[in-house]
Amino acid sequence: MFFAPFDKFCCKIRAVFDTHFVTSALTSFMEVRDNPIGDMRLAVPISADFLDRLRRREPEALAEAVHEHARTLFRAARGLGFDETEAEDLVQDVFTTFLDRLDGFEGRSQLRTWLFGILHRKAQERRRARTAYEHDDPIDEAFESRFDGTGNWVRPPADLERLFLSRELGELIRGCMDVLPTSQREAFLLREVEGLGTEEICKILDVTVTHFGVLIHRARARLRECLEKKGWSQT
Amino acid sequence: MISCKQVAELLTSDQLQSQSWWRRMEVRLHLAMCTLCARLARQLNQIRAGARGLREGNEADGGLEERLIRRLTRMQ
Repeated sequence: MFFAPFDKFCCKIRAVFDTHFVTSALTSFMEVRDNPIGDMRLAVPISADFLDRLRRREPEALAEAVHEHARTLFRAARGLGFDETEAEDLVQDVFTTFLDRLDGFEGRSQLRTWLFGILHRKAQERRRARTAYEHDDPIDEAFESRFDGTGNWVRPPADLERLFLSRELGELIRGCMDVLPTSQREAFLLREVEGLGTEEICKILDVTVTHFGVLIHRARARLRECLEKKGWSQT
Repeated sequence: MISCKQVAELLTSDQLQSQSWWRRMEVRLHLAMCTLCARLARQLNQIRAGARGLREGNEADGGLEERLIRRLTRMQ
């Protein structure tokens, strides 16, 4: 009874603190997560006029398309692990296929989406490896082992702040990309490196939103495992 | 109450935006209170920032477009 006013005071202090803490944490979170891809690059619709010029095989229109997309496609091919010569061949292959199939292109799809879709298929052909939906991926077990039966962390994310502040992070990620299976690597590359949206990536990879969720989840889980290992070895 | 594992799955699979308003609020509140999940969220953002840096090393040389245009025009 004697402590009642004090308790009430403490409650008020806690309420103010909690509100402030939650608000500030929420604000920072919403800034980050409500716009998960900060500088997401939206696909620009292809105009009917430009499509006509391409169909007429106007050299200027072809040059325009090459200038607009070749560099991004090359970068993506390099990101998929092809060397410079292979990447350039691949990009040429993409444009050749694009021109061959131009008459069937109805313009409903964005040009970039279509070109990336061709790149995806050509890369698969070259690797002669089908992008399969691997039901049993060992990374799932590694992810599961981080939580107990009630879903609480038993092996929480390592505190890698020091490592992440380092400028070497990009290089570490580059090294870790090699451990990703092709399908996960493509999902990660299109989302995180090229910054494309979910809908466009699903069209390019010809997968459902759920399947893409599995791919990107596994890619990030693998990368985090790899980065943590590198972080531990450095500390 | 949403668990750490469920939060981690939603964050790493990019499925948060497709969840109900209530579910998203649950995740936000959880992140405001759980330092470990908040750390994971922060690290995922840092990985994204680091990944953008990968573009630089994979850029083509200045002559790529002209070489391609030349070859493609020859094929027409």
